[in-house]
Amino acid sequence: MIQRRGVLAATAVGVAAPSVVGAQGGAQRLLRVIPQANLTSLDPVWTTAVVTRNNAFMVFDQICAQDSKGEIRPQMAEGWSLADDRLSLTFTLREGLVFHDGQKVTSRDVVASIKRWSRRDPFMQVLQPSVAEVEAMDDRRFRFRLHRPVPLLLQALGQTQFPCFVMPERIASTDAFTQIREAVGSGPFRFLANEWNPGQRAVWAKHDGYVPRQEPVDGLAGGRTPRIERVEWTIITDPATSANAMTLGEQDYWEYPLHDLLPVMRRSRDLVVEQRLLDGTYGIARFNTLQPPFNNPAIRRAVAMAVNQRDYMTAVAGSDPQGWGVCEGVFTCGTPLANEAGSEILKTHNVERARAALREAGYNNEKVVLIAPSDYPQINALSLVTADLLQRIGMNLELVSADWGTLIQRRASKEPVERGGWSIVHTTASGQSLTMPVFHLFLRANGANAWFGWPDDAEIERLRTAWVNSDSPEEGRTIAEQLNRRAMEVMAYIPLGYYWQPSAWRRNLTGVFRTPATVFWNIGKS
Amino acid sequence: MWAYIIRRILATIPVMAIVALFVFSLLYLSPGDPAAVIAGDQATPDDVERIRASLGLDRPYLVRFGAWTWDILRGDLGTSIFTNLPVSTMIQQRIEPTLSLMIVTLILAVTIAIPMGVVAAWKQGTTIDRCVMAFAVLGFSVPVFVVGYVLAYVFALELDWLPVQGYTPISNGFFPWMENLILPAVALGGVYIALIARITRASMLEVLSQDYVRTARAKGAAQPSILFVHALKNAAVPIVTIIGIGFAGLIGGAVVTESVFAIPGLGRLTVDAILRRDYPVIQGVILLFSFAYVLVNLLVDLSYTLFDPRIRY
Repeated sequence: MIQRRGVLAATAVGVAAPSVVGAQGGAQRLLRVIPQANLTSLDPVWTTAVVTRNNAFMVFDQICAQDSKGEIRPQMAEGWSLADDRLSLTFTLREGLVFHDGQKVTSRDVVASIKRWSRRDPFMQVLQPSVAEVEAMDDRRFRFRLHRPVPLLLQALGQTQFPCFVMPERIASTDAFTQIREAVGSGPFRFLANEWNPGQRAVWAKHDGYVPRQEPVDGLAGGRTPRIERVEWTIITDPATSANAMTLGEQDYWEYPLHDLLPVMRRSRDLVVEQRLLDGTYGIARFNTLQPPFNNPAIRRAVAMAVNQRDYMTAVAGSDPQGWGVCEGVFTCGTPLANEAGSEILKTHNVERARAALREAGYNNEKVVLIAPSDYPQINALSLVTADLLQRIGMNLELVSADWGTLIQRRASKEPVERGGWSIVHTTASGQSLTMPVFHLFLRANGANAWFGWPDDAEIERLRTAWVNSDSPEEGRTIAEQLNRRAMEVMAYIPLGYYWQPSAWRRNLTGVFRTPATVFWNIGKS
Repeated sequence: MWAYIIRRILATIPVMAIVALFVFSLLYLSPGDPAAVIAGDQATPDDVERIRASLGLDRPYLVRFGAWTWDILRGDLGTSIFTNLPVSTMIQQRIEPTLSLMIVTLILAVTIAIPMGVVAAWKQGTTIDRCVMAFAVLGFSVPVFVVGYVLAYVFALELDWLPVQGYTPISNGFFPWMENLILPAVALGGVYIALIARITRASMLEVLSQDYVRTARAKGAAQPSILFVHALKNAAVPIVTIIGIGFAGLIGGAVVTESVFAIPGLGRLTVDAILRRDYPVIQGVILLFSFAYVLVNLLVDLSYTLFDPRIRY
């Protein structure tokens, strides 16, 4: 068979021999990645886009970080000490930390970064009333002064959901609602701004001045050792093209392969297809609790009786049960607070009983508007399963297909469906984000300030506050059970199960490890 | 002639103004909120509002339109809401792949389609004619993305002759540049080959029945000379017109082709910007496309004088 390099490249070698040789040598030091989305913003505080966060993990460093068991470990910090009265938490930075512009990292940079991040992070905003001040003590030490003990402070600082990344003070002093213009951090890779072409590619080079921790890599904790000279993200929007590029070796790593293509990719001997992310992705069906018919909790519960998470997950992730799981509670399965207290309603799985419950609840054929995002395959699949279910239990459904941009604007409307409102929308959430009540978005029931759908339930809010103030893990677990029970009564949203999102990489990559976020340190190429 | 060109160039100003007003109004009225996209799911309504204010999206329609128009008049297309990069820089980064794709596609389409159409007219009613017409029907009927996937499967995945995705700038060498463009250009060119071949055939059939062609034959002129010197030149006006009209379709086709072959061109920039509601980028790219379309029409009109001396401006 005539190979490509024998057709055009042979001619090209004659013209540009030095560059071809150079490129072949460079291939060993270059990691070519297809990211899950286009990198459009470099500011992990300004936007919560996962792709921006993944970029931030390369460029910036964290004070502390989550290991593979979810424990918080020091990262930039050498360590920390809590005062005996638990009202002061002092951190000491490691020596040798430098930013990509050559400046030393000081505690002033860290304090400015914490202050900017605190203005946007929902977790930290819960804790903020207990924090009197965060202040630099000298170049390497800074401390939190507290009004009352805050056991969750380390969890907040080391979280993966909305991480606290450290930037130079001059950048971190930017308003939290204004986008930063430079990506200068002290992380293991330098962002090459002059090679950034949004929508095409983003490039990073190894940060030669980076001093990794000596511990082995463990989740996001341990040594963040860059083992590759250059990381290059290429934006490929078409999944079939991505799969072909992986198979042909034009790319080395694909972050989010489409589930439909996994069997084909698994057949390739050159590719590894594995679950690298530690958390599953959870499906959510959210009701608009302000408008009929879902302003009636009994109708919401009737719909929940018809739900079978297996149907949803099969629609999203295929028939291989290794690819998904059932989780009939509000907290991420397999985490300390996971429980199914009061979840019997989600185990009904019966359309006939749901239909009867709907009649008993007084459903009067009010129109139900379900918006499905056609440009998000997974969320669209969840939406279509619900649409089918609602029709089968006898609801008067209007299925609206829209793009994500339209959906997120329309879901902000509190109007009745006749005036552009909505009844039910779907979304997905990382398992991380559903592990604790403090940042569990869909559990909040504080009315107008709650997530879209705006449930209002004083008991859930009381339990959430009680959990934040709980003194022991046992007490926390008891409250979590009460929360799950109450959430099933209120039924502001229906949990739809979770699916695993595998990644694919070329077999010659070394050091690929399991982690809560997609990061590229420790990965080499043989 | 020069007066005509200047008049036509001046006439583009009101056209561009109407396009600008239309695009801006359409985007203003269309649903979607970039602030909500930026803020993400965890943001409170207050956060979204603050981001909206920081981007100036809370200002009234007329204020925003006035500010944008003033910037355009000063040659500033604005700044992307998401990337913070100037729109002109983003267009500059993307224009080469799209132009390359369009030029290679047009060259491919013209060099294949015109001889096909000429031969089909010459051999009217024969198997050759029927084959050309069958190809034309196929070219019209099969969507660009299907052709793209089939080509990628055969020539990249199975034969490994050509890369399946990406773009190499021409500054990196002609062959690497061409290597990345062959499959997309063939995929995109199919429909234009069909279109131009059909028009060429129809136009040639009309010309070949003219008296002067019969006279040329009677004088013993060679067949290639009759076809390509005498007839084709006289049949050229409708062919050139259809190439110009095809340019608009090429812009639309490039969006799909760029997605299938991961070419970082203006088509994908437009789609990405629309999905994110990155208004300055959408407005900038559409203005550019409109200007290009007006320019191509002008060039087509001017080219008529080359083929038909009776046409004078």
